[in-house]
Amino acid sequence: MSSDINIIYDMAKKAQKAAERSGADEVEVFGLMASSVNVDIQLDRIDLAKESFSKGIGVKAVVNGAVGFSSTNDPARIIDAAKAATSSARVRHSDPDWTGLPQACEYRAVKGIHDPRIANIDVETCIDLTMKMIDGAVSLDGARPTSGKFTCVGSDYVILNSNGVEVREASTRIDGFIECRAGDGDEMSTAYEFDISRNFDIDFFNIGSEAARQALEGVGGVGVDTCKTDVLLKPGAIADILESTFFNSLNSENIQKGRSALAGKLGEKIGANGLDIVDDGLLEGGIGSARSDDEGTPSRTNRILENGVLGTYLYDKYTAGKDGVESTGSAVRSNYAQTTYIDVRNLKIEYPASDIIAETQKGVLVGSVIGAHTANPISGDFSVEARNSFLIENGDIGSPIKSMMVTGNVFELLHNICGAGRDTRVLGNIITPTVKVSGLKILG
Amino acid sequence: MNTPQFDFYDIRVLKSSGFSIFIDNGEIEQISNNYTSGTACRALVNGSWGIVSSDNTRDPESMLFSAAKLSGQAHRRSPRPGIDLAPVESPSIHDLPVVEKDPADIPIEEKVELLLDIHKRAKVQDVSSSTVMYSESVTDVEYSNSEGVEISYSLVRTGFAVTAVASRNGVFQMGRESKFDVCGYELFDRYDALELAETAGNTARDLLSARVPKGGRMPVILDQELAGVFIHEAVGHAAEADHVAEGNSILAGKIGSQIASSCITVIDDPSMHGYGYYPVDDEGVESRPTTLIEEGVLKSYLHSRETAALFPDTGRPGNARSQGLSRPIIRMSNTYIENGDSSFEEMLSEIKDGVYLIGSRGGQVNPGEGVFQFNAERGFLVENGELTTPIRDVSLSGHTLDILNHVQMAARDMKMTSGRCGKGGQLAPVCDGSPHILVSEAMVGGSG
Repeated sequence: MSSDINIIYDMAKKAQKAAERSGADEVEVFGLMASSVNVDIQLDRIDLAKESFSKGIGVKAVVNGAVGFSSTNDPARIIDAAKAATSSARVRHSDPDWTGLPQACEYRAVKGIHDPRIANIDVETCIDLTMKMIDGAVSLDGARPTSGKFTCVGSDYVILNSNGVEVREASTRIDGFIECRAGDGDEMSTAYEFDISRNFDIDFFNIGSEAARQALEGVGGVGVDTCKTDVLLKPGAIADILESTFFNSLNSENIQKGRSALAGKLGEKIGANGLDIVDDGLLEGGIGSARSDDEGTPSRTNRILENGVLGTYLYDKYTAGKDGVESTGSAVRSNYAQTTYIDVRNLKIEYPASDIIAETQKGVLVGSVIGAHTANPISGDFSVEARNSFLIENGDIGSPIKSMMVTGNVFELLHNICGAGRDTRVLGNIITPTVKVSGLKILG
Repeated sequence: MNTPQFDFYDIRVLKSSGFSIFIDNGEIEQISNNYTSGTACRALVNGSWGIVSSDNTRDPESMLFSAAKLSGQAHRRSPRPGIDLAPVESPSIHDLPVVEKDPADIPIEEKVELLLDIHKRAKVQDVSSSTVMYSESVTDVEYSNSEGVEISYSLVRTGFAVTAVASRNGVFQMGRESKFDVCGYELFDRYDALELAETAGNTARDLLSARVPKGGRMPVILDQELAGVFIHEAVGHAAEADHVAEGNSILAGKIGSQIASSCITVIDDPSMHGYGYYPVDDEGVESRPTTLIEEGVLKSYLHSRETAALFPDTGRPGNARSQGLSRPIIRMSNTYIENGDSSFEEMLSEIKDGVYLIGSRGGQVNPGEGVFQFNAERGFLVENGELTTPIRDVSLSGHTLDILNHVQMAARDMKMTSGRCGKGGQLAPVCDGSPHILVSEAMVGGSG
């Protein structure tokens, strides 16, 4: 892939020069080149294989502290895009809070984010891995797959800026997802499973068999009574809830603009004793890991919660300058066509582990939730439908639950965490065990 | 290389340019421009699909050969029974929305000035911050296939959204209004953006003093927007024939059955000039309305050409859509419940005690089990036939068929709301709508 990175470097350099010539004080260019293979599953067959190739640049031009942005994947329009970025910046007023793009510096490479076995994968191997997922899904009697997807991506990117930043990074990703059903009519139960990695180390058969097992376990669900009880949120459930209710409040931009309930709470206790939350841009093999963030600030490890005490917000270069602190390396972007925003890199939830199911006399175990994205991201209030959930009675997992809502507020939830399982999972860029929360409301 | 034996192929060439402005707390936060182009070639060989897509248009012929090779590789390892594509008439393009004011002709400064005015109007008392987003895009589509279809068209989309956040004593609440259409800058002649901004501000402010209700089962009146989300999420998705084929829809095997109360008729109409409009779908089928439910009886599913052949007599193709160069999948367009014959006031006096839920913060559905969840933006308690205490953080969940059967009344005040719908990792512009509907019993979630 070394020739690819030169192609994208040349495109980015051309854009940088054009934006500088058009009068920008500072310029940043992000150039990305990616190739991917998708294989789609319908029922127990593959119905489609797809290869895609993409290549494009995003240009930030700064004039008097005001930023303009443009992007293109058309080599013939690089100059147009660069000029448009500069003229967009000129429409804005100067921004006295602007402290410049990141400066050139040394970076520490992160291990385990590029696997040549994925970068050089052939379509036949992708199809074989997809078939393994299907084999797993049909391996248990009574369960069958409904749909699924295999994806692998190899990408190379560069970040250049007029302060001399030149970051080159290559990374890979592979993931599988499958959904299964079991039972029929009113007894029907569905469940999905997925796994994602930067390395060629996923057990695809296991993804399929786990989805099948969970679908089977859900058949014959019972109702629950509305009450406050101990709720054990499995990794997929707690990750979804935190992403929709908590991350927004850690974002320094929201703090500065009066849209975060965590404003003024640095150094205060906002979570239970023993609860640590770490955001690590340097995690070996992490889905959110790279030597720098997406504006070229070196990645680092940020201790967000230590023993329940709020240690830091998440900053990019601009919001850090405004607060007179260092960037936490939290600028990320989803692709070249969008500018950076502040988000977590690899967020780890840590709490002393114990046998939380055995320790629970009465409660519920929630496998996943639907509707987390409808939560109130500022107040932290959420009300979600629990899926793949079970009663817990006298320390044992009991009947599956047909339908149940879980409702609460994330800032209360963080204080009420009282246990964690030994089952830490890597769910993309959130890493968490099952978390036990006391006194959460369930509605039947 | 041997020429592959295609059962079918098609080629889509897309060119688009977009422009957007984001205003945050009265400051221009971002102005961005985007120019993209690309080609997707799709081949069907022996029942398996292969697609090759590329940002930069390469030679379509070599892309098609690669796509056919992919189908062959998939077929060898996982043979599918040969599939038929439902026959369709050659499409023609007519009745394209006419752009009255090309957004590109309006100076950026004028757009910025309007957006700043929108921001100011949203800042009613207690509103601590507001954002305004504006976007315009033009997309040129060229479609051709192995059956000789060759068509091209261009669509202009314009829209804006305003969000207001109010805060008092550490409580934060949000109001949001938006309008997106397949049209030009005349969007701002059609809608009073300043008034909508004030509505967003007032919503945020009023929610500060709203109560979180006690959850439970009760009668519910849904406003047009929330009922539209319900019909889209809970019914529309289950009517997508790919879900039916996967055994993952509660509507499987129910064509011709009474699945809803007789006051429910549901239409999906891509030819309607709403945000979900398209003249032909992404496999070259001309758009036309589909009646999904007629007076409570399930009439059709939504189809691609593949599923329309798989399930004969359950509706026609025309709902295959793709985001950019992705594979076309079955999607809704402009989906709505038709007007009934009662009124909101009649509903209030009918239920006496319950809740009135307004607006939506989105929702999610499991089409196989028919379980759905969505959050209303706000609402009111209904006590003795009157709207009383304002409420917030309230959600609705339950089983789709239960709700459909419990719809007691539909009003005569249908309204459409534009938005974007996600499925299989792809976003599509859609509209959904409904009149006010009364559901005699539903599960309302709230932590009060």
